[in-house]
Amino acid sequence: MRRNPDFRTTSSLHTNASLLLFTMKSLEIRNLTIALADSLEEPIVKGLNLTINTGEVHAIMGPNGTGKSTLSKAIAGHPDYEITEGDVLIDGESILEMEPDERARAGIFLAFQYPAEIPGVSIANFLRAAEQARLDEGENVDAAAYYKRLYEKMDDLKIDRKFTARAVNEGFSGGEKKRCEILQMAMLEPTFALMDETDSGLDIDALKVVADGVNRLRGENLGVMLITHYQRLLNYIQPDYVHVMYDGRIVKSGDKNLAIELEEKGYDWVKNELAAPATA
Amino acid sequence: MSSSVSASPFTGLDAERFATHLAQRSYLPAWWIAAKQEAWNEFTSLPMPARKDENWRFANLKGLSLDDFIVPEEHSSLVPHLPNFPHASEIIFSNRQTVGRSGLPKELADQGVIFAPLDEALRDHGDLVRNYFQQHPVNLGSEKFIALNIAFAACGTFLYVPKGVKVDLPFVVQHTISGDKQSIFPHTIVALEESSEASLVEFFVSGDTASHLASGVNDLHAGQNAKLTYVGAQNWSEDTLSFQANSIHAARDARVQCLNVHLGGRQARHESHSRLAGPGAHCDMLALTVAKGSQEFDQRTLQTHQAPHTTSDLLYKNALIDTAKTIFSGLIVVDPDAQQTDAYQTNRNLLLSDKAEANSLPGLEIQANDVKCSHGSTSGRVPPEQEFYLQSRGIDPVKAHELIVFGFFEEVLNRLEDEHLHAVLSELIQSKFKKS
Amino acid sequence: MKPPAELATPPAPEKIDDPVMENPAEGIDQSAGDFTYDVQYDYDAGAGLTENTIRYISDVKKEDDWIREFRLKALKVFEDKPMPTHWATDDLNNIEFDKIRYYLAQGQKPKRTWDEVPDDIKETFERLGIPEQERKFLAGVEAQFDSEAAYSNVKEIVAKQGVIFMGSTEALKEHPEIFRRWFGKVIPTSDNKFSALNSAVFSGGSFIYVPPGVKVSQPLQAYFRINAENFGQFERTLIIVDEGAEVTYMEGCTAPKFSTATLHSAVVELVAMKNAKIQYITVQNWAANVYNLVTKRGLAHEGAEIKWIDCNIGSRLTMKYPGVVLKGKGARGEVVSVALANDGQHQDTGAKMIHAADDTTSTIVSKSISVGQGRATYRGVVHIPKHLQGCKNNTECDALLINSNSRTDTYPAITVRGDDHAVQHEASVSKVSEEMIFYMQQRGLSEAQAMSLAVNGFVNDLVRQFPMEYSVELKRLIDLEMEGSVG
Repeated sequence: MRRNPDFRTTSSLHTNASLLLFTMKSLEIRNLTIALADSLEEPIVKGLNLTINTGEVHAIMGPNGTGKSTLSKAIAGHPDYEITEGDVLIDGESILEMEPDERARAGIFLAFQYPAEIPGVSIANFLRAAEQARLDEGENVDAAAYYKRLYEKMDDLKIDRKFTARAVNEGFSGGEKKRCEILQMAMLEPTFALMDETDSGLDIDALKVVADGVNRLRGENLGVMLITHYQRLLNYIQPDYVHVMYDGRIVKSGDKNLAIELEEKGYDWVKNELAAPATA
Repeated sequence: MSSSVSASPFTGLDAERFATHLAQRSYLPAWWIAAKQEAWNEFTSLPMPARKDENWRFANLKGLSLDDFIVPEEHSSLVPHLPNFPHASEIIFSNRQTVGRSGLPKELADQGVIFAPLDEALRDHGDLVRNYFQQHPVNLGSEKFIALNIAFAACGTFLYVPKGVKVDLPFVVQHTISGDKQSIFPHTIVALEESSEASLVEFFVSGDTASHLASGVNDLHAGQNAKLTYVGAQNWSEDTLSFQANSIHAARDARVQCLNVHLGGRQARHESHSRLAGPGAHCDMLALTVAKGSQEFDQRTLQTHQAPHTTSDLLYKNALIDTAKTIFSGLIVVDPDAQQTDAYQTNRNLLLSDKAEANSLPGLEIQANDVKCSHGSTSGRVPPEQEFYLQSRGIDPVKAHELIVFGFFEEVLNRLEDEHLHAVLSELIQSKFKKS
Repeated sequence: MKPPAELATPPAPEKIDDPVMENPAEGIDQSAGDFTYDVQYDYDAGAGLTENTIRYISDVKKEDDWIREFRLKALKVFEDKPMPTHWATDDLNNIEFDKIRYYLAQGQKPKRTWDEVPDDIKETFERLGIPEQERKFLAGVEAQFDSEAAYSNVKEIVAKQGVIFMGSTEALKEHPEIFRRWFGKVIPTSDNKFSALNSAVFSGGSFIYVPPGVKVSQPLQAYFRINAENFGQFERTLIIVDEGAEVTYMEGCTAPKFSTATLHSAVVELVAMKNAKIQYITVQNWAANVYNLVTKRGLAHEGAEIKWIDCNIGSRLTMKYPGVVLKGKGARGEVVSVALANDGQHQDTGAKMIHAADDTTSTIVSKSISVGQGRATYRGVVHIPKHLQGCKNNTECDALLINSNSRTDTYPAITVRGDDHAVQHEASVSKVSEEMIFYMQQRGLSEAQAMSLAVNGFVNDLVRQFPMEYSVELKRLIDLEMEGSVG
């Protein structure tokens, strides 16, 4: 068992030949070290390596406080975090100098664990602004086409159309917030989705709806990083790869069976294994 | 029962009377005598509040006249009894003289705690008192009456708790006044050093139903990480003109809780200024008022956030009966550098008669942007559905009213940690209702 | 304000519209109001204010003796009253009354057709889009250029219903019986220093009378333009809506940027008779050196409803507290206001609700935004005197701070007498949080776009209450004001 497997190699082994027909893209996380901007001395993520290609779903599991959310927020450019070492690249180009909105337009989508409320700004208005921001100057979102597409996606996700008039996340239940995140993801068509604890705080029915949404969106043009604390989400979204994160690093990688093993043995199993001398 | 006071020639608030007062205190530190002289000069030069003065908006200015009040030396022997509840030590003043005092427990004295009448403290610990005297004056409109207090201050208490000393039981002070046109000027100074803890409870009571003048001032200091609880329960005669100005200064990480209960007085003005001076400081400002008959209660507050990460929470509740009138005027000021501040201010007025008048001026002045500030004010009647609910359980309307009003006050009293004190204050408030 | 005019002028900066507002009129450009024309004035009262100034104005206007006397008395009151700096800002002391010109006119009579308007004035108003606006949706329009109305038109259909809509100067002559009955009754000369000033030198403004039962379906509009430097505009508006009648009136105000301060001090009196309804909408976008000190009050009789919608953008100092005196049983009053204070600006606004009858209801909703070093102040009065029953007031004030040097103040004054009323005041101060901005950036919006969206969201529920043309315009104005406030 390798402690820090280099997934660039592993994933390329699994590449389906048919993918070559599409332009495969990659999100490469290289030796990434992340700290809170106001306590640089104590990094949360410590030299993490991972490559996600479009067409792949990578689940990242691990106990609370191990740096999973930090990883996704830092990739998206959250101002609270500082990357002190390493790099994040899309198709070989670093995104670390980009503003959060530039990263978003470059294809990164973060589904927030705790989405912010934006009082007074309707979902329809907000998504349209986000789409407009992706167009060249002088171009405008075609309103009719926009609404047609929005309503289609909402129908797909079984979201009531009245939803569009509500202010973004304001007064939403936990399930509504998560569905709103999935709707935005469906509309904005990112290349890489970082889904931060998308399943936390959801009952089984809500979880199914969210998982169904993600399953609809996955495909050759999307790479997914699925961050979760609980194995149950993986019953509904089958990952191609499972990584166990502990103390700021990926300490174990495998396929979906790793998640099952983890469920049976618990996170202590990983901790104990780490504590024991490494076996090759 | 009014007064064993002998009718001395003229003992009004005049220069001659002040000169006698000062002469009797020649043994006190020079700085104190000078401060008194300066205060007297200020008192005589400052005008009475005028109509255009925003600090006195809605107040009955005619009622403020100081004419005819006198400052005799004699004290009445009539001292209402002090509520009995567990306390660390007590001092009782009557007409400006110390008439009763329980000793300070030895373990407290050994740790350096000082709890003494002001004149005694000035004599024995003059420099220490000076460090805390009027360091952060209140400027909410009563400057003239604060000056009068300082000029004539004699009764009053100095409480000093050294670094790290924790006193579990409260210190208790009672100020009593009796005799027609008598006046009283309590001045209390509390200084809690770093990481110390103490409570002070003051009762202000009249020995008779005569007309009195009271003008009190408190300088309350909570040092770094100290915890200070102050409770003032005012139950002057219903013919008393009363002023009180409290200054609260909370240093870094200090926690202060102030509760003022207002029951007595013909016209009672209460000013309270909390300064959150160090990061992490917190202050609770609480008040309960029962306004009856033609009483006027005028409360002015200021919460100044001078440092980041400070919090303050004000809750003033008034119940109004008959033709009584209340004024609440509060202001939260957040200085430009005081980011991450949470400040709340709530005034609730329960109007129980169709002639009562509640005035509310809840204000905010915010210059920092990373703040959470809100204020709320409601003025209304007992919700009919509440009243009906109680009646449907067989409780008569008068009793139902009473229960609802006590419930209205409980929200404030529940914030007190001291259960015995809670019970004493509840009883005091109930007695006001029963008096009618 | 940007008059609706500018709705027709070209491209706005990128802006997000609400879905309900597809294809709004095009954008407006804040600088559109910032131009002047050299105008030869036939009448100029000169700088400074004396009894002679008043006589000059009265002479030019050929006024009756009673009005001349009224003015002279008002001047005395103005001179006697101190500046209200015991509660208001000291910046009032910087007004140089001696340097202001109190009356400027070209001797024009208001023109009834657009072609008759003198070319230079026409050019001004065309640039601001008045005629197009009129064609679009107004029932009538009046445009004031400095002291006097330059153009006044009321659609035939409205005129036929007996609606009177004209400049105050004309109305004083043509309808003295109605005018005199209500003039100065809602806002007496001595109400405050600036109502006294207006009473002394007023000129122009609108006069509206709506006969019983007539419901004017489209809004009437006036547009006020200051064109000359060192000029004070003192219009006087009087609106009387008779029993069961209804009207909506909108006013817009602009002035170009002059190097010295300009004064606008209007008095607006509304009278809503039994069961009448008045909605009065103001969008002001004064240049940043205008002192805007306006007194506005309505009198609501039994069952009547008066609603003020007030948007304050621009000016150096605005002091304006629209009020309603709820005189008749069951009367309703409402003030909805939005204020945006940018660098160097102080928006001191609020509302007054004076309950004077049983079962009267009032509502105040105020939102302010402080940007840069701007300062927004809310002052409110809610008064419920004794012997009344069943009065209700609900007040909400929300303030949004954008930058760390912005400032906001809230000073309400609430008096309630009696045990049968419900009065509630809530206020909050918040800021646009970093989390909110990051969330929006993560969806691809730039920081500036995110900020603009957050601010528009803050005022959105209020702006929705405005007529569409105005709400679109207001959103654009806010966006323009927000430019450069981030980063």
